[in-house]
Amino acid sequence: MIHVDSLFKRHGELEILKGISLTVNRGEVAAIIGPSGGGKSTFLRCINGLETFQGGAVRVGPHVLSANLHPRKDAAQLQKVRKVVGFVFQQFNLFPHLSVLGNLIEAPMLVDKEPKEAAVARAVALLDRVGLLAKAEAYPRDLSGGQQQRVAIARTLMMRPEAILFDEPTSALDPVMANEVLGVISDLARADQTMIVVTHSMRFARQVSDHVHVFAGGHDVEFGPPDKVFGDPQHETTKAFLKEAGKD
Amino acid sequence: MNRLIGLLFVLVTLCLPKPAAAQETPAQGAAAAESSGTWATIQKDKRLIWGSDMEGGGPFIFPREDDPEQVTGFEVDLAEKLGEYLQVTPEFSQGQWDKLLDLLRAEKVQLVINGYEWSPERAELFEASMPYYVYALQLMARTDDAGVTSWDDLKKPRPDGALMKIGVLTGSASQEVMEEYCGALCEVIGYDGNTDAMREVETGKLDATLQDTPIASFYAPSFPALRPIGEPVAPGYYVIYARKGDKQLIQAVNEALILMLRNGELERIYSRYGIWDKQQQELFTLAEHAKFFGYEKAAQVEVNTADAPLTQAEVAVTSTRKRGWVVVQDYFPVLIKSAGLTVVLAGLSFPLAVLAGILIAVGRLYGPAWVRLPLTAYVEFLRGTPLMLQLYFIFFLLPELGVNIPAFTTAVLGLAINYSAYESEIYRAGIQAIPGGQMEAALSLGMSPTQAIFRVIVPQAVRIVIPPVVNDFIALFKDTSVCSVVTLIELTKRFTVLSMSTQAVVEMMLMTAFLYLVMSYPMSLIARNIEKRLGGSGVNV
Repeated sequence: MIHVDSLFKRHGELEILKGISLTVNRGEVAAIIGPSGGGKSTFLRCINGLETFQGGAVRVGPHVLSANLHPRKDAAQLQKVRKVVGFVFQQFNLFPHLSVLGNLIEAPMLVDKEPKEAAVARAVALLDRVGLLAKAEAYPRDLSGGQQQRVAIARTLMMRPEAILFDEPTSALDPVMANEVLGVISDLARADQTMIVVTHSMRFARQVSDHVHVFAGGHDVEFGPPDKVFGDPQHETTKAFLKEAGKD
Repeated sequence: MNRLIGLLFVLVTLCLPKPAAAQETPAQGAAAAESSGTWATIQKDKRLIWGSDMEGGGPFIFPREDDPEQVTGFEVDLAEKLGEYLQVTPEFSQGQWDKLLDLLRAEKVQLVINGYEWSPERAELFEASMPYYVYALQLMARTDDAGVTSWDDLKKPRPDGALMKIGVLTGSASQEVMEEYCGALCEVIGYDGNTDAMREVETGKLDATLQDTPIASFYAPSFPALRPIGEPVAPGYYVIYARKGDKQLIQAVNEALILMLRNGELERIYSRYGIWDKQQQELFTLAEHAKFFGYEKAAQVEVNTADAPLTQAEVAVTSTRKRGWVVVQDYFPVLIKSAGLTVVLAGLSFPLAVLAGILIAVGRLYGPAWVRLPLTAYVEFLRGTPLMLQLYFIFFLLPELGVNIPAFTTAVLGLAINYSAYESEIYRAGIQAIPGGQMEAALSLGMSPTQAIFRVIVPQAVRIVIPPVVNDFIALFKDTSVCSVVTLIELTKRFTVLSMSTQAVVEMMLMTAFLYLVMSYPMSLIARNIEKRLGGSGVNV
């Protein structure tokens, strides 16, 4: 489904990603963990073209993002990838001027020219699925962080993405709200939604993922099934990181 | 300042490709044939468009008391009579006095009749008719002012050492004469309206004023506290101006003027306004000489001096000074009507400005360099030059390049273009205030950059900038007053016209201010309401 081939990203002098390759097959969930500044978020943003990169390639289904794309000149190519790859942000990024329902139906109606009635019907079903049907008419600022993130997930699902990228979806939330959101993501995993999740929650990574990647210093230093990575880490960085993370 | 701007435009004009007016000897035949067009047009359309400024006031041209939207005055009567002789319908076209010759040049009017003196400089640039009135300049001061009893007194400072201040009409012969007479010994102050200076003398802000004799005579009853000082000086001629090369038109006008003079009709008109005086005898001498210049026929008409007394209906209403509520009663409806034009101008131009402003802001923030640079230049140029000059350019100078835009369209376009620059800066700031995550969220939902900008970013920016935009709208609302430069009579112009003709300046000013306020205050309320409603949708303000 998603193939990343030796991705290399530089920001000025600073090398952020130093040749990372990664594959996620259809229906799989990959978790990315690791210390801050290890390139996790940047990597995720490269996959749907929010960041450009200087080397390597990203392949999503039939679509390819090559190095050094131009955000405006290559907009059409970027748009193709984004239509099939959803993205859930740490800060939710709901559209504050639209109601919850408006947030959900805006893109399908605009991008896919879906009729309003059909979009609303699907939106209602999705809101029900994330437990927020009662909030359909509310505006984002009337919602708690956890509710906002669940709406953001529903909004992403409206585009029927083949894969969803989660960028630390619970980092801005307190534990209770974080659990609401993790519950929704776990549901998606059970429904065989292809996903890559960058997370600081080791427990969640272990529960939900098919394989775990540990990013540090721009490298994918260790990867494998969660039981192996968490239960029997091989790399020194992984060991140190898990030890630190375990304190929380 | 006005003069400086004028000079600037003369310089700009000189740089433009010159139309027929500048083509001298070699092409003279062609130029004459071309410009005979105006006379041909007048005959074909059966109408003659003459420009004048009703703000100038009595006795020349001023609002009628019974219907302040219509004009009266000796020049109106003259134009009517001229129409009879030329067998066309005269059509009055309002213009600001100091811009009338520009209107003529820009072919917005065909003749200018508004107390314009003959001067060699003007005669060089335009075709001048024979004089239709001989004026002189009358010095006036307060009756109770013992310090000013003669011209000589003007050069003696007041006991406290202050120089005498003398008011004149800006750009008129009185200004030239006075400035030359005073030198450094007295101070000459220019005014835009005829009676402004007289009022200032009355209140003591000025020591004296030099006025054209028609004004001095006509307004004498309105200013009982003023008296003439010495005999009128520096006589000169009011003439009708036409565009350079319109010789046939001027010949027709001259012939009519000679006939009107010899028939006694000119005297009759002038008598109605109390301005026929002995100096007009010179007109007969001039008309006599006209027979040597191709006007034999007209010059041979028998002179009719046996004038019947003016009938009651013919005696023109002289200037009366009104005060208090009666003014409000009489003139409020007219002011309200002009306020309507102000509303329409603002209501049409502002949405255009907003639309253009948004597009410019988006272009400057998201466009490639070849879009950004011209837009930046556009904004800086329009913000850095006065609205008045921009309107002037569209209305008076574009016609020289063959683009003739009507006054109303000019005003709407000019305001929209000028304000689009300010609007774009507001929206630019608004768009920049939207967190970057919004754009990323929109893009990651598969929207194109254009969709993201116009469906996600701009709608939020619009909400954030409501307060400054409303502010800007109120500013534009009041800036519509500048549109009088392109001949529109909006609220402020109507105010100046009416306060000149009625002398009820304070009452008119209060009414006008009241109208502006009742129009702009509800807008503030509506804006506050929208703000509150949209604010509820959670865009951080």
